[in-house]
Amino acid sequence: MGTVKRTEETDDRPPASLEETIADGGTIAGDEASADTPFGTVSSGTMSRRDRYEMLVNEWVVAPFKILWSDWRARVGSLIILAYVLMGTVGVRVVDPPRVGEGDRLVSPFEDLSHPLGTDNMGNDIFAQIVHATPPMLEMIVAGAVFTTVMAVVVGTLSGYKGGRTDQLLMTFNDILMTIPGLPLVIVIAVILEPRSPWLVGVIITVNAWAGLARAIRSQVLTLREESYVEASRLMGISTPQIVMKDIMPGLMPYILVNFVNSARSVIFASVGLYFLGILPFTELNWGVMMNLSYETGGALYTWETAHWLLAPMITIVILSFGLILFSQGTDRVFNPRVRARHTSAADPEEGDDDMSGEVATHIRG
Amino acid sequence: MSKTDDTQTPTTAGTRTGTGTDRTSIRVDDPIMEIRNASVTFDMERGESRVLDDVSLDIERDEILGIVGESGSGKSMFASALLDAVVNPGILSGEVTYRPRGDAEVDVLGLSPEELRELRWEEISMVFQGAQSSFNPTITIRAHFEETIEAHNYNMEQAMAHARELLSDLYMDPDRVLDSYPHELSGGMQQRTLIALSLVLEPNVLVMDEPTAALDLLMQRSILSLLEDLQEKYDLSIVFITHDLPLVAGLADRLAVMYAFEFVEVGPAGDLIGNPTHPYTRSLLKAVPNLDTPLAEMRPIDGMAPDPVDVPQGCSYHPRCPLADETCRAEDPAYHSVSPDHQSACFHWEDSAEAIPLSTGGDERGGGDGEMRAFAGNQSDEPVVSLENVDVHFDQVADGGLLSVFQEPDTVHAVDDISLDVYENDVVTLVGESGCGKTTLGKAVIGAQRPTDGTVAYRGQDIWEAKDSRRGADIPYEHIRRSLQMIHQDPGSSLNPNRKVQASLEAPLKRWEPDMDPDDRQERILSLLEYVGMSPPGDYAQRYPHQLSGGEKQRVALIRALLMNPDVILADEAVSALDVSLRVEVMDLMLELQDLFDTSYVFISHNLSNARYFSGKAGGRIGVMYLGELVEIGPAEQIINDPQHPYTKVLRWSTADLDIEETVEDPPLRGIDIPDPVDPPSGCRFHTRCPEAREACTREQPTLGGHGDGTEHETACFREYDESHEYWDSEPVVEDDADATADDESGSWGHANE
Ligand code: SF4
Ligand code: SF4
Repeated sequence: MGTVKRTEETDDRPPASLEETIADGGTIAGDEASADTPFGTVSSGTMSRRDRYEMLVNEWVVAPFKILWSDWRARVGSLIILAYVLMGTVGVRVVDPPRVGEGDRLVSPFEDLSHPLGTDNMGNDIFAQIVHATPPMLEMIVAGAVFTTVMAVVVGTLSGYKGGRTDQLLMTFNDILMTIPGLPLVIVIAVILEPRSPWLVGVIITVNAWAGLARAIRSQVLTLREESYVEASRLMGISTPQIVMKDIMPGLMPYILVNFVNSARSVIFASVGLYFLGILPFTELNWGVMMNLSYETGGALYTWETAHWLLAPMITIVILSFGLILFSQGTDRVFNPRVRARHTSAADPEEGDDDMSGEVATHIRG
Repeated sequence: MSKTDDTQTPTTAGTRTGTGTDRTSIRVDDPIMEIRNASVTFDMERGESRVLDDVSLDIERDEILGIVGESGSGKSMFASALLDAVVNPGILSGEVTYRPRGDAEVDVLGLSPEELRELRWEEISMVFQGAQSSFNPTITIRAHFEETIEAHNYNMEQAMAHARELLSDLYMDPDRVLDSYPHELSGGMQQRTLIALSLVLEPNVLVMDEPTAALDLLMQRSILSLLEDLQEKYDLSIVFITHDLPLVAGLADRLAVMYAFEFVEVGPAGDLIGNPTHPYTRSLLKAVPNLDTPLAEMRPIDGMAPDPVDVPQGCSYHPRCPLADETCRAEDPAYHSVSPDHQSACFHWEDSAEAIPLSTGGDERGGGDGEMRAFAGNQSDEPVVSLENVDVHFDQVADGGLLSVFQEPDTVHAVDDISLDVYENDVVTLVGESGCGKTTLGKAVIGAQRPTDGTVAYRGQDIWEAKDSRRGADIPYEHIRRSLQMIHQDPGSSLNPNRKVQASLEAPLKRWEPDMDPDDRQERILSLLEYVGMSPPGDYAQRYPHQLSGGEKQRVALIRALLMNPDVILADEAVSALDVSLRVEVMDLMLELQDLFDTSYVFISHNLSNARYFSGKAGGRIGVMYLGELVEIGPAEQIINDPQHPYTKVLRWSTADLDIEETVEDPPLRGIDIPDPVDPPSGCRFHTRCPEAREACTREQPTLGGHGDGTEHETACFREYDESHEYWDSEPVVEDDADATADDESGSWGHANE
């Protein structure tokens, strides 16, 4: 599938568009190359635009998806994440928002079908609360994870690739951020700003969490930029942004992705923690808030009666976090060229075990 | 001794089947080790991979046995098999018998792990390539010795005394070495220390697997000459495994050639080099770049070495063998005795000499001039790139801690005051030991390294001026950038592992010919791939670098550089990482493409044979570098056959040739380790090691000068100056031996000649 559709197949179709007709004529050869060298070769036919898009889609969408799917961890992880996303989008429409006095007070879970997870001390349905807390939670997670990753990647690569003064300045700033203890800083900011939008909360929670990651990325960039292929690209006059995008980033992607997921997890825990401690203002429903209430007003830590009120949001969080971990472990493989090769080139199914033969080859070489 | 019949006549090829596959015939009188029917297999998804195929071989007491094979021929597996050290999940079968003096016999494969551990250091020890990784960086060398001695319950005092003796046998100062940490020693010293460590428990057999592969030629050769002394002094049997046939040819008593996981020819070194009978050995001799074979006769071996899962039926060499016939395809040849102790696994060994003629021997040096011109292009009068008095200095910042701000950084003089012109269609090869600045100079030539001082001009336009003042330049920097390209040393990192071949090759085209139609782009890449022998190109274009072999990666890197249509390509050790038999092929390809695309090469090599082949074939020059200076430059054959500078002579010495008469002798050199480039010696930088050095050399620096014979051959040595120079009147530099050993890095060769 990944192999190029050769021109013969398309040749017998009439050219579909003007562009193709021009291409068919075989035009622009290299200015200095003459036609009798392999340099001067021009195409004798054309690959239709559709074929090319198909190839791109195959390479960038289908193949990564297949790789993900072939790994059980990624499969389970993405299913879990998908479930939460559905809960946050479709779920909120299907499940009615919780209302006070909707049911009896403190109904235990699995007793009453209309309140599958039971109710709290005001008769609010706990399942509905969890479902309706999902959208702000997801927004917060996305905001925090994206913010951390983008900041870290931008600062890390810029500083590592540019070096010199830029590096010094950025890293000094970075180091200062790293040395400020995170939690007090977040508390101070939260108290001053009293953020209400989940997007903003996400950013505040990770306000200095990216600094460590930025440093790690910088040191990886420092190694990568010394690779021969990066130097070759530089010598070919390829622009710095292009080099960073094409030569540096792909090498970092597994690392970045794993850290993206990790920071998503830390956003969950931090936010829940902060809501639980009551530092962030209670505005909307939130798993952390639920836990806080169950503890403060329900005494969930002491009586079995209200335990489900505490446990339900807790388990929700644990499952999501678990899904994220599985997902991040599986995504590692998406960027591994050895795995990719197996999934994109249908041409040689034998490549399937080249990991193994590579291993043996090293044995032989000793 | 031999069981095989050497009486069969060559005319009845069809009938000589009686010997079957009896390969147990390689016997010696007094073996210290016997290997019988040893096989190593790995189970793989694709099938059983046989990486050592039923080999039988004896190792004679007190001999040096050279085992030669390309990577992937199973030679390292053989070494592991000797010590029952095959890594999991490999399965070793067969018999390995060790016979210490007397009648005792040890069945190596039947030993318990504990017995095996004892055997491994005390009786048979092993030195692998890459000494660096064998040492524990956190403890001193002394601790390494002590640990080993203690683990085997030897008498510490005696053993340490022995260790000191070994270290000084290897021309190192025992006190200094023992107190150092591994990283404080140079690569050559680490390797020598490792040899001493492996010998400290006085084993009888020493197995060395590519022990010198990571080192400079000069160091390799020096270690080899030491090995010979050690072997005699301590009555060792040495198994020396290498891919480098010329290297081991002068050292070994017997040679065994491996191909496709078995031995194809075994015999005394002299016979095997002088009268090789197996077609593979003969082709290998032709394929290995060396200083003796006329250039026109060097030829790569066609085809590929077989895959361990799928070794061809019959003679495993038949797909590549010019002599192959039906018998070869159907049957596995047994050993045929060329002489009682020279065996060759080939049906047609008697005909091979005729079919694959070889001319070794010194008298034909430099022959074949006529054909050599094949690739010589027309060199222009005007240089493409011209360097004038270029200096490149690096500041070596200590550990980069806060305090380093206050330290005066050490300056490394990587390139010192070099002027060099590169013409169109030119080939300039820079040779020298590692750390001599050849790569830095090369990068300065292609504008990848900004000189500290001096100018680098591209067709008269100063490159760095063009870069700094983008507009004012006569030739825009963009154009210069495009014209000067590079191929890197390590095939492993020369291509982006995350991009397919196609994407890597598209990058330069997209950058420089953005209007090009994608189909044309594709077609051009495919046709180039096909041109360099990677077919089907459509399949190769869709591969990732890890799916290519080293040679294929280098080809892709070469195409990528050529797609820029450059004027000069810097090839930094571009073939050094490849197998010997592939080197000629890749170099030929490079030269062929030079002809086609009118490029010049600046070729960097630590290997004089490669330099000779590459520069010689194109009628180019060789420049010899030492500690940042160009000490001699001239036409390739002149540098090889008539070296003037004492250092070039040393390099010439260090390049093993196939002349087995010439045993490994002491080098024409006073010290084997290079001085620190941070603080190079005064005067002529070579005076600390030069055998011809005189008082004047320590004070004054010689400059490059011609011989007045009208050629381009120039040498920077006072011995080229006329008689009036003070050199001729000054005293030779004599060193006090005791002193020299104490403060010189590693001791001196001064007393080696006693
Ligand atoms: S047996 Fe036949 S194929 Fe094998 S090396 Fe000899 S001639 Fe060549
Ligand atoms: S100048 Fe003196 S020290 Fe230098 S190479 Fe010549 S003889 Fe040797």
